[in-house]
Amino acid sequence: MALLEARGLSVRYGGLFANNSIDLECRAGQLVGLIGPNGAGKTTFIDAITGFTPVSSGEVVFDGVNLNDKAPNVRVALGLSRTFQSLELFEDLTVRDNLLVVAQRPKWHSVVTDVLWPGRDERKYHSQVRWALEMLQIESLAEAMPSDLSHGQRKLISVARSIVAKPQLVLLDEPAAGLDTAESHLLGERLRGLLAQDMSLFLIDHDMGLVLNVCDYIYVLDFGVIIAHGTPSEVRANPTVIAAYLGDSAGEAQAREGAALLSRESGSDAQSEMNQ
Amino acid sequence: MFNLLIGLGIGSLYACLGAGLVISFKGSGVINFAHGAMAMYGIFTFDRAWSGGEFFLPLVDFLPTSTVNVPVRITLSSAGRWPMIPSLILALLMAAALGLAAHFLVFRPLRNAAPLGKVIASLGLALYLQGVALVNFGTSFPQAKSIVPTEAVENFLGLGKTFPRNTIYVVAFTILLGFVIWAGYRFTRFGLATRAAAGNEKGAVLLGYSPQTLAAVNWVIASVTATLAVIIVGPIQGTITPVGLTALIVPALAAALIGGLRSVPIAVMGGLGLGAVQTLLDIKRSDWFTGPALGWLQSGVRNTLPLVVIVVVLFVRGKSLPSRGSVVERRLPLAPQPKRIFEHAFVWLTFLVLLAFVFENSGARTKFANSLQNGIVLSIIMLSIVVITGYTGQISLAQMTFAGIAAFFTARMMADGIGRGANLVPVTGFGLPWPVAGLIGVIMAVIVGVIIGIPAVRIRGVQLAVVTIAAAIAMQSVYFENDYITQLRAGVPAYIKTPTFFGVDIGARSARAQNENPNFVIFGGIVLALCAIAVANIRRGGVGRRFLAIRANERAAAAGGINVVRTKLLAFAISAGLAGIGGVMLGFKQVEVSSANFNYGFGLSVLAFAYLAGITSINGALIAGMLLSAGALLPTFSNYMFAGTNIDKYITLIGGLAIIVTAIANPGGVAIFLSEPFRHAGNWLVSAIPGMQTIRHAFRGPKSFMVRLVLVVICVGLAVWLRQAQFVDNVYLWVLISVVGFLILGMIFARSLDKLEPSFAEAGAQWNSWFKQFGVTAIAGYAAGWVIWPIRVDSYSKLWMPIVGAVLALFVRSIVKPILSNRASKTHGSDTDSDVANIRTEVG
Ligand SMILES: Nc1ncnc2c1ncn2[C@@H]1O[C@H](COP(=O)(O)OP(=O)(O)O)[C@@H](O)[C@H]1O
Ligand SMILES: [Mg+2]
Repeated sequence: MALLEARGLSVRYGGLFANNSIDLECRAGQLVGLIGPNGAGKTTFIDAITGFTPVSSGEVVFDGVNLNDKAPNVRVALGLSRTFQSLELFEDLTVRDNLLVVAQRPKWHSVVTDVLWPGRDERKYHSQVRWALEMLQIESLAEAMPSDLSHGQRKLISVARSIVAKPQLVLLDEPAAGLDTAESHLLGERLRGLLAQDMSLFLIDHDMGLVLNVCDYIYVLDFGVIIAHGTPSEVRANPTVIAAYLGDSAGEAQAREGAALLSRESGSDAQSEMNQ
Repeated sequence: MFNLLIGLGIGSLYACLGAGLVISFKGSGVINFAHGAMAMYGIFTFDRAWSGGEFFLPLVDFLPTSTVNVPVRITLSSAGRWPMIPSLILALLMAAALGLAAHFLVFRPLRNAAPLGKVIASLGLALYLQGVALVNFGTSFPQAKSIVPTEAVENFLGLGKTFPRNTIYVVAFTILLGFVIWAGYRFTRFGLATRAAAGNEKGAVLLGYSPQTLAAVNWVIASVTATLAVIIVGPIQGTITPVGLTALIVPALAAALIGGLRSVPIAVMGGLGLGAVQTLLDIKRSDWFTGPALGWLQSGVRNTLPLVVIVVVLFVRGKSLPSRGSVVERRLPLAPQPKRIFEHAFVWLTFLVLLAFVFENSGARTKFANSLQNGIVLSIIMLSIVVITGYTGQISLAQMTFAGIAAFFTARMMADGIGRGANLVPVTGFGLPWPVAGLIGVIMAVIVGVIIGIPAVRIRGVQLAVVTIAAAIAMQSVYFENDYITQLRAGVPAYIKTPTFFGVDIGARSARAQNENPNFVIFGGIVLALCAIAVANIRRGGVGRRFLAIRANERAAAAGGINVVRTKLLAFAISAGLAGIGGVMLGFKQVEVSSANFNYGFGLSVLAFAYLAGITSINGALIAGMLLSAGALLPTFSNYMFAGTNIDKYITLIGGLAIIVTAIANPGGVAIFLSEPFRHAGNWLVSAIPGMQTIRHAFRGPKSFMVRLVLVVICVGLAVWLRQAQFVDNVYLWVLISVVGFLILGMIFARSLDKLEPSFAEAGAQWNSWFKQFGVTAIAGYAAGWVIWPIRVDSYSKLWMPIVGAVLALFVRSIVKPILSNRASKTHGSDTDSDVANIRTEVG
């Protein structure tokens, strides 16, 4: 039973099909990856799933609910959460408050209780925040301001923020971009750790290495079209993928080289993206 | 048809100003709320030169003495008049100078600031120019002479009616101006570079222009065209006043927005069209808007039109979430969690009580009471701005409107069909008691607040400011000034009955009809304290966190599951509710409700002063309300101390200047400087009064509710006690008795909680060490006050001036000391000020 299902999903920006009739499934308890070069439409796909960009055709079903026409925050309430490629932390709030504001689900009477007795039933949320920080091993950053932290730490905070409300499925937009190999490896481990917590993950990256290592299932996107999907070893061996990335058809041996090459390239891409 | 043509006259004015707005926006990305004010200074310069033969620099003689003066007024010709052409050139030069000054002194330093900062700076500029104009040109304005022929054309276009000839010239001029500007930007290299720079500064650099030079030239063009337009077009619209000209900004903005803030020709057409339709509505309103369904719109429809245009244009273009990659809004000043409420309450109370005795004689006491009443009311309104702009980041210029709605509604709910006060025409109403009527008023304010907040769902930043000011103007003429609804004739204020509390008069007026009833201060103080606590709690709870999340990043907030739309509307609701409470209190204070109190222009300065004081903190709101605004404590105090300075007259001007400086150099506002001294003062007071630490400890301990209750009772008791002051002859003796009495009361309370901490000995040691540490500064300040003030000020209070000097010296020390010790600790490693460190650990 698929947790998230995209059926024939298309997103158009003017004349450009950023996503073209994408069919994709995320199963509960799995870590599904989506790879593709810069501009392939990966972020657009997450935007479409989470309601940040209008879908021109096709539909998104999450946990048996059709998400089309649902506002982003409604989708979040259903258990769908995301990070942003550009992090988009709340720069004016401490790390703790960044998480707390997301963990907390307001009720209709929240205003009244807040005015009379602020922080009355926040204990539960505080323990959720502690849990999320522990999952990513960044408890020590709780009182810091995001702007004082390093890029790698900020990435971890954005991941922590996306899991703090204990969603069913987390969509991660390039969480490893700009991290060095060791950091990215560590991140992969922590993500696998999340799976054990009843959470499913959807990971976007153009770092082939990370995706091939940690994912259970992989989709490959190019120019808005899914060109291949399968288990990591299937994808690694897939001639279309190799063709798309290398421009010629080659054997399996080359594919591994290709993957390595690609991850190096994308690393430098991410670097330049950051520099901008 | 003919009526539409008539309207082209006023339309030309909108068109020219709208074109100028587009130019300055393209040149530097600023929507200049001071555009009308700049043009105003230009036309006054022209008028004074042409028909008065004199010239005023855009500044005032700020030195409070008559011996040393700053040159302001220059006589051009002793004959009292000057030829037209040189006058015109002089005015245009003045406009160019103002444009350059606006660019180099105000907006260039702000080029990387948040939109709020730019809005505030342009409001500050407008206030400054208005203030200067009021001082230099006075408040009675003659009809400015027109420089185009005014005689009428008979049987215009064969329509059989007469048509003013000047309208023809003026429209022709406008279209020509629009065409010249369009061609200038279309076909010259400079225009190309400006268009390139609007997209990307590098574009201009490639064409060999510095972006800053381009912006400066565009500012000059905008300012000069505005002045020229107002000189030519303005006089046919009747008397020209500084405030009236500043108000033209709204229809001009509507015109500019029709042109998408990009196209001058479309803005010109839009302005002409807007003026035409407005005039048509004006002439036909008594035919079109009749009967109970539409009759109420008669007086307001004219000013509602720009609002409708603005909202429609912006709403259609807006998006419910900012799109990916849209520049993330630059950050507003941090909004720290309110902490140490105990110390703050303590300092504020001490401050007010001390101040109460400064005004020792009865005449000044009345002034003090009045300014205190003013301050309390305004502080409540300022709190509403903290919520909406400080916490949620939505720029609202309609806060006074919310206040007005509540006040007008309350007055009407309390009305009983008997004419009283200034309004002898009876107003029908329900005769409800004040708490019910006030509640209904506040609820109405909340409803209107939510409605005005709806555009904020899709409109952000400075554009929201435009919508809210348009809404404020529309509301003013649809409701406050609309006798169809209010039943008030000719601007007469609505009478509001004095509130009573179990038979005690808690209204503002005393028996001799002065604003000095101390009961009202107690009443208002309680309301203000409750509002401040509510805002503090909002900030500390989940609601405030969501507000701040939206302020920081709307997309991330939505991705975090926050309902952005509902939360924004909630912020508007809370803010409008607070403003409404302030409005009702203002009504009670004035004993009447008049549209002048809730003028949209006042709304602009309220926002600007809130920013000046610190828009993100409760302290800021209190400072803004209590100290800074006209009629509040600081001006009153200053007038009392420095008799002859007449600071009231200069308050807009000084305020405007201070606002610009704040926007550029210190976006956190005055509250930033005061937060440290407040902390120190609070801690010091607590450690220097026996038993206070015991109480503070219990305040935060398990029995906190009981402790708070007792403290509230003591505070109210103190207030009630203080109000007896008027019956005591020797005020000093009375102060002594009060202070000692309440200290003993406090100590008894502390003793009942736990053992006294600090003990008498410890407290004594504090006083001793205070004197060792600050005594020198205080004495030096006292001496300076004694020696220096008489030289600067013509007359002064010999008793208090040195004390003011001492306080000022301590204040300066409290600002300078941390800066110095900071510098020292940077050079000497981690050797921090032990004093500060001590207090941190003690409090933390
Ligand atoms: N808001 C937008 N308007 C127009 N085109 C867009 C927009 N967002 C993305 N695109 C285009 O859609 C394509 C896919 O972009 P994106 O989803 O960001 O790719 P990826 O995340 O894989 O790098 C790119 O060509 C990009 O230029
Ligand atoms: Mg992307």
